[in-house]
Amino acid sequence: MTPRFSLGIRSKLVLVTLVLLVIPWVGYRYVRTMENMLRDNQVQTVVATARAVATALQDRPRLLELRTPAVPDPAAAAPRPVREEMQLLMTGLARAGSRIWLLDSKLHLVAVAGSIDNAPPQSPGTLAFGALERMVRAPLQLLFDRLHEHTPEATEEVIPNDTLFGGREIERALDGTPSWRLRPAADGRAAIVTAVHPVWVGDNVVGAVVVEETTQAVLSFGSRALEQLTAVTLIAFAVGALTLFFFASSLSSRLRRLRDEAENAIDSQGRVRGLVAGEKAHDEIGDLSRGFSTVLERLAQYNDYLEQMAGRLSHELRTPIAVVRSSLDNLRLQPLADEAKIYVERANEGVARLDTILTRMAEATRLEHLVRAGDHSERERFDAAAVLAGCVQGYSSVYPARRFELANADTEVILSGAPDLFAQMLDKLAANAADFSAGDTPVRIALVKNTHEAVLSFANRGPLLPDAMRERLFESMVSVRSGEQAREPHLGLGLYIVRLIAEFHGGRVAAANRDDGSGVEFTLHFPLAA
Amino acid sequence: MAKRITIVEDDPTIRANYADALKKHGYEVAAHADRKSASEALRTRLPDLALLDIGLGADLDGGYALCQELRALSPTLPIIFLTARDSDFDIVSGLRMGADDYLSKSVSLPHLLARVSALFRRADVMQQPDRSEDFLERGSLRIDMKRFAVTWQNRPVDLTLTEFWIVHALAKFPGHVKDREALMGDAHIVVDDSTITSHIKRLRKKFCAVDAKFDCIDTVYGMGYRWRAPA
Repeated sequence: MTPRFSLGIRSKLVLVTLVLLVIPWVGYRYVRTMENMLRDNQVQTVVATARAVATALQDRPRLLELRTPAVPDPAAAAPRPVREEMQLLMTGLARAGSRIWLLDSKLHLVAVAGSIDNAPPQSPGTLAFGALERMVRAPLQLLFDRLHEHTPEATEEVIPNDTLFGGREIERALDGTPSWRLRPAADGRAAIVTAVHPVWVGDNVVGAVVVEETTQAVLSFGSRALEQLTAVTLIAFAVGALTLFFFASSLSSRLRRLRDEAENAIDSQGRVRGLVAGEKAHDEIGDLSRGFSTVLERLAQYNDYLEQMAGRLSHELRTPIAVVRSSLDNLRLQPLADEAKIYVERANEGVARLDTILTRMAEATRLEHLVRAGDHSERERFDAAAVLAGCVQGYSSVYPARRFELANADTEVILSGAPDLFAQMLDKLAANAADFSAGDTPVRIALVKNTHEAVLSFANRGPLLPDAMRERLFESMVSVRSGEQAREPHLGLGLYIVRLIAEFHGGRVAAANRDDGSGVEFTLHFPLAA
Repeated sequence: MAKRITIVEDDPTIRANYADALKKHGYEVAAHADRKSASEALRTRLPDLALLDIGLGADLDGGYALCQELRALSPTLPIIFLTARDSDFDIVSGLRMGADDYLSKSVSLPHLLARVSALFRRADVMQQPDRSEDFLERGSLRIDMKRFAVTWQNRPVDLTLTEFWIVHALAKFPGHVKDREALMGDAHIVVDDSTITSHIKRLRKKFCAVDAKFDCIDTVYGMGYRWRAPA
C-alpha cells in the first residue's frame, strides 16, 4: 500500500540541499560583524584624523589667532597667504567623503574643507563566477536596494550635510576633551561619524577640529559583500540542486526499473525470469539486483524441481506398474481356479486405474511443457467455430445420456494456436459439464465473436460451485467432486488442462455460478488471430 | 526351429516376466541386464528379434547405442524399443534409430506378443521372393500387407509397426471416421488420446517428408480421423 503522502528519493535529496540555504544567513551575520569592525576602524581613523589636524594646528597658532579677536570682517583681516596655507593644509588632510571643520574657542567657523557627499564611486567588486554571477547579481541588486529603503527610523534628529552639528561634543572639546559620536545621515541609510579634537596652544584651548565622515563606504562594502554572497550561494545551490536532481533521477529510475523487473520476474505462467537492470553496476543497486537474481535463480531451480517431480514420479511408477501388469498377464496364461480369476480381474482393474492416473499426470506435464515453452512452431490459424461444431457433434455419441446445445457458432472464429489442443480443451470442458449437469437439462455451449476477442461459454444446470473453490478450480490437483461424481479416478487435472490450453491460446478462463442460481457457467476469452 | 529373442532390460522382474511370457509362446529367450553383456552376446550370435529398454540402469541411453550397434550388424533384424519415459517416443522417432516399433512399458503382454509375431511374419515374408498378392491401393498410397511396407507415389515411407497399423486402419475405408478407441484397437495399443494425436502428427510429418503436399489424413474434431478419399 502506498501512503497518501510519499516523497521519492529524488524529492528527498533535493530537500536535503535546502541545508545550503543556511549559508546566506551565516554570511549575513559575518558581513554584519565585519561591517561593525570596519565602522569601529573608521571611527578610530576619524578620531586620529581629528587629532592629527589638531596637532598640526598647534604648531601654527596664528592660523587660529587670526580670528581670535572679534573682527567684523575676517576675510579682510586675514592676510591672503595665511588663508591659502590653511586651505592647503585642510585640503591635504581631508579625504574623499570626509569633511573637516575648524572652529575657534568662540565657536566661530574658521575654515571648512571637503564634503561628505563626495563618497568615492562604488566598485562592482570582484566576480567569482564571471558573467553568470553578474547575471544573478543584477536582479539581486534591485532587491537589496529596495530592502535598504526601509531602514529603521532615525532615533536622532537628522541634520543636513552642509550644516555643522553642534552637539555637546564641541563644548567638551573646547573644555579640552576629545570625543566622537555617530549620528544618522540625511539619506537615512548611512551614519556620520563625528570626531572632535581640541586645538591646544600651550595650556589653552584655542579651537576645535571637527572631522566628519560618512559610513557610506563601509555600508556599501557590506551590501556588496552580501549581494555577492547571496549570488554565490544561489549559484552553488542551483548547481548543487541540479546535480543532485540528476543524480537522484538516475538513481530512482534505476531503482524503478529494478522494481518493475522484480515485479514481473515471475509471470502469470509461473515462469521465472532473471533480472537485467543494473546487474553490471558496481554499487549497492547492482548488489541488490544481483541479490534478487540469485534468489530468483534459486526459486527457478526449485520450480524446475517441482515441475520435474510429476514427470519423474510418473516415470518411477511406470516400472512397478509394468511389473504388476506383466505379472498379471503371465498369471492369466496359467490355468486358474474361477475364484482366482476374479482376483486377477480386480487386480487388473486396479492397475488400469493407476495407469489412468499416470497417463493424466503425464498428459498434464506434457501440456505444461508445451505451454511454458510457448512453442510457436506448433501454432497455426484455425477456425475455432468449426472445431467446436465438430466436437459438439461428437459429444452426443460420447455422452448419450446428455444433450449439448450449441448456439451462435456459424460464423468463422479464427484463432492462433493448435486445433488439436483446442479440441482437447473442449473435451475436458464437455466432460466436466456432463459430469456435473443435473437431470436431462442440456449443456448450453456458445461461441461469440466480439471485435477483439472470442468468448466461449459452457453452461450447465447442476450443483453450484463452493465460493472458496472458485478461484482455485483451475489449479493443478484441485477437485470439487463429491463421492457421487468420483467414480473414476479424478486428480483435478481436467480444468487445469483447460487453463493450460487456454493460456497457450493467449486466453483466460473463469468459472461462476449462474445468476439465477441454477447451475454453473464456464467462460473463456480468447484473442482473435491477427 | 524356435525363434530367438534377446531382451535387454535392467529391471529383473520385468525382464523375467517378459522372458516367461515369450518362452510360453514358444520363443527362445536370452535376457540381459546391461549394455556390455548384451553387446557381447549379440556379437557372438544375432537373435531373430530384439526387445530393448532405452534406459539401462545408470546408462540412460544404453538402448539407443545397442540399437545402432545391432543395425550395423543387421539391417533387417526386427527391433522393438520399450520405454518408461514419455518423451522417449519423440526422441526415438526423431532420431530415426532404425527401430521397427517403440512401446510404453505399460503395454500389455498380449499387445507385445501381437507385435512380436507380426514382426516375425514379416521377416519370413522378406526371405521369400516378391509375390504381389496382398496389396491395398488408395490413390498414391500402396500398402504391402505382408511386409508392413507403405509407399506414397512409389516412394517408401518409413513407418513403425504401430504407425503402419494406424495407416492401414484409416486407409482401409477411406472417408470413414475412425475414432481414437478404434484406432487403438487396430494398432494394438492402449494409450491416452494425446498419444494418438502425436502418432497422427508424426505420421503426417513422415508422409510430408516424402510429399510436401500430402494432406490425406483428416482430423474430424470430436470424432477421430479419416483417410481422405481420392478425388
